[in-house]
Amino acid sequence: MAVSRSLRRNQTITYILAGILCIFFLYFFFGDSAKIPSLPAAPRQFLKSKEAASNALSPPSLPFKRPAKLGPDETPPPPPVVHYHMNNVTTTADPVGNRESVLILTPLARFYEEYWENLCKLTYPHDLISLGFIIPRGREGNLATQQLQERIQKTQAPTNKNRFASITILRQETEPTIVQSESERHAFGAQKERRAAMSKARNSLLFTTLGPTTSWVLWLDSDIIETPPTLIQDLASHDQPIVVPNCFQRYYNEEKKAMDIRPYDYNSWQDSETALEMAKKMGPDDILLEGYAEMATYRNLMAKLDDRNGNPQAEMQLDGVGGSALLVKAEVHRDGAMFPPFPFYNLIETEGFAKMAKRLGWHAVGLPNYYVYHYNE
Amino acid sequence: MLPTYASSAEREKMIRHSYGAGNTGGTPLSPTVAESSAGRLHIRSDKYDKFQPRSSRHAYQQRRGLFMRLGGALTVILLVLMFFFPVLRPAALSSAVGMGMAASNDAWQIETVRYYDLANVGGTSRGWEREERILLCAPLRDASPHLRMFFSHLKNLTYPHHLIDLAFLVGDSKDNTLSLLSDLLTDLQAQTDPKAPFGEISVIEKDFGQKVNQDVESRHGFAAQASRRKSMAQARNWLLSAALRPTHSWVYWRDVDVETAPFTILEDLMRHNKDVIVPNVWRPLPDWLGGEQPYDLNSWQESETALQLADTLDEDAVIVEGYAEYATWRPHLAYLRDPYGDPDMEMEIDGVGGVSILAKANVFRSGVHFPAFSFEKHAETEGFGKMAKRMKFSVVGLPHYTIWHLYEPSVDDLRHMEEMERERVQREAEEAERKLRQEQIDKDFDTESHSSQWEKDKESIKKMQDQEASKAKADKAKADEAAAKIKIETAPEGRAHIIDPENAIPVVGGKRV
Repeated sequence: MAVSRSLRRNQTITYILAGILCIFFLYFFFGDSAKIPSLPAAPRQFLKSKEAASNALSPPSLPFKRPAKLGPDETPPPPPVVHYHMNNVTTTADPVGNRESVLILTPLARFYEEYWENLCKLTYPHDLISLGFIIPRGREGNLATQQLQERIQKTQAPTNKNRFASITILRQETEPTIVQSESERHAFGAQKERRAAMSKARNSLLFTTLGPTTSWVLWLDSDIIETPPTLIQDLASHDQPIVVPNCFQRYYNEEKKAMDIRPYDYNSWQDSETALEMAKKMGPDDILLEGYAEMATYRNLMAKLDDRNGNPQAEMQLDGVGGSALLVKAEVHRDGAMFPPFPFYNLIETEGFAKMAKRLGWHAVGLPNYYVYHYNE
Repeated sequence: MLPTYASSAEREKMIRHSYGAGNTGGTPLSPTVAESSAGRLHIRSDKYDKFQPRSSRHAYQQRRGLFMRLGGALTVILLVLMFFFPVLRPAALSSAVGMGMAASNDAWQIETVRYYDLANVGGTSRGWEREERILLCAPLRDASPHLRMFFSHLKNLTYPHHLIDLAFLVGDSKDNTLSLLSDLLTDLQAQTDPKAPFGEISVIEKDFGQKVNQDVESRHGFAAQASRRKSMAQARNWLLSAALRPTHSWVYWRDVDVETAPFTILEDLMRHNKDVIVPNVWRPLPDWLGGEQPYDLNSWQESETALQLADTLDEDAVIVEGYAEYATWRPHLAYLRDPYGDPDMEMEIDGVGGVSILAKANVFRSGVHFPAFSFEKHAETEGFGKMAKRMKFSVVGLPHYTIWHLYEPSVDDLRHMEEMERERVQREAEEAERKLRQEQIDKDFDTESHSSQWEKDKESIKKMQDQEASKAKADKAKADEAAAKIKIETAPEGRAHIIDPENAIPVVGGKRV
């Protein structure tokens, strides 16, 4: 017994010694690692498309690393000097091959599940896609925000390998004037005001989320619920500054007793002599609108020029564009082409955008036989 | 160590007892069973041998307890250490954990969703109290001579630095603007004073392939203006669209070649709470050009004449202010300056100059930009003012609040300066010549100051003659006396003669007789 006890004591001493050694080891291991000064920042830090930024103060089109937890007396390090090589931001017909990043912008009034599902189905690499939403104030906006955030939480979970690069949600600063019903919304008189507000929302979204690494901007309305999954690649393959697919709507055709499609967005058109004449007679603050009986413009509407069995690659030049789905090279926006919230050559919002782009030397093409589908209210 | 053995024996006994107990209830114990049990016993004893280290197993059990205790002690010690050394606290621990699974952990460390309410970034007159962020934009091109001055201005700004985000666009530069900028910025952020570093800093490198020279003459020549303005506008738009964030309440545009500006300029302009506001921009001049001069003529109020002129022009024409080609008769902010006027006085303007513009970020978010096309016959900053007005934003200038642009002499000025320099040199040469001549005249003809001198000279000459005569007499006597000796003597004329008495050549007055 005595022998064993002494033996045991010996072991205890060994263990204690080992433990102390261990503690020393751990102490120096961690102590040293904490004491090593972090490497001085490289003289020029370049941020390429879709790399995570090191600071929360970074373009919203990029994800960022969560800031380290700091003690009460610690101050966060000053943000780094970040260089962006904008000469290297390309926009080519092969955006996937060249790893070009796409910013999808959506003014969100109502949240549709189908819209989100369609978005998630896009085959363009999701780590190259950033999303931007602008949501009006008010109850409807709150509801949409809540629904959107619920979906985002699922989609953007860290476990999801296919999550989007980044998502920015903006709330508009002003309350929408009146919440309109579908018929009211399209009434002629209310159009100018409504579309001016819409323009401001689009511009706010665009100019705050357009990062220095973005190559393409895809405008996609929140009520576009069905597109081909290869939408971005298909539109980009035309390598045009502005590309517009034809926006249609699925509905139940009572005559045929079957589901059918009909044109929805009439804002994509080629100008006509009549329309130009009309514009000349107008004052500088009047606007020319499409799709109203009060104003027959005889423009060539893309919505009416579709051929269901035609080549989906077919192109047509456009003078006005609709905004429900619209792929724009980022440099067009960077040069200053925005959505005029005032009558610009008697045009407003997306139609005015096409005109402004034209003044800057960029042109728009439409794809009459390439469809995206609008929600049917 | 008996107890262990005893206990095992007892247990064995107990087991056997249980066997017995089990059998008593059932069939009577048959001899075979007994036998088998006996056999088993035998085997068991064998087993006992095997289990002999049972004691050691027991020790192991005890040791396990010891392990537990040790482990516990270790943890306690570690915790205590953690308590005393913050270095060891979870951060280090998590880093240790992170080391193992850094790769798989990346996704957890990255935030992808941002939420902003634009109602919070409207911009107010007291932004520094409400922590409103400012985006400071500066387009640069071949600007390295001015960068250090610009950075000293930055460091002097009184607006909280961490609320100012800096954005630079460097393009088509042929000098070392980019590397110098990068070094200066790194220095700026590395300052130890926690209040010194700025917020987000972006340097955008983009070449537009501009052909226009940036030197003063071609920059301000009328013919080059329209295309220069358009490409400048493009650069400004690229910079803004890449750097504007949903967090910004204000945007401040500032040229790098401003020489003097108040440190409080951001607060001073912000206090007016206008959508777009510009100070007056003058420049100092050399005295021979009048001491000072209005510099930025792009801030003006619209005039009827200019509107009428605009109507007659082509769609793509650009009116540029400050050139004789277009007489617009517009009231310019610059010319309305009164050095003793109230610096807070405001004036509504339509076109703005780009040297120093403070605008609410909301203006840019709404879509106002620097038109790189002819917008209502104007481009760049003047077009910006026009577009802001078109969207019903307030655009004002401060005629009596002045900042000073660097003076770069224009080619005309340089020519003028050269001429003046030549004149000066000529004048100096003339003056020197005149002085010399005067001196000559004085020397030659001025008798008054020299008359007494002449008398003195006459006297001294007379004295010298007397002395010479007496000396000659003494010399003659001496020569006779020294005829027998060889002697070297210096004649009054300075010539040396050898007197040779052996040859018996008498010397008189330096000549052999």
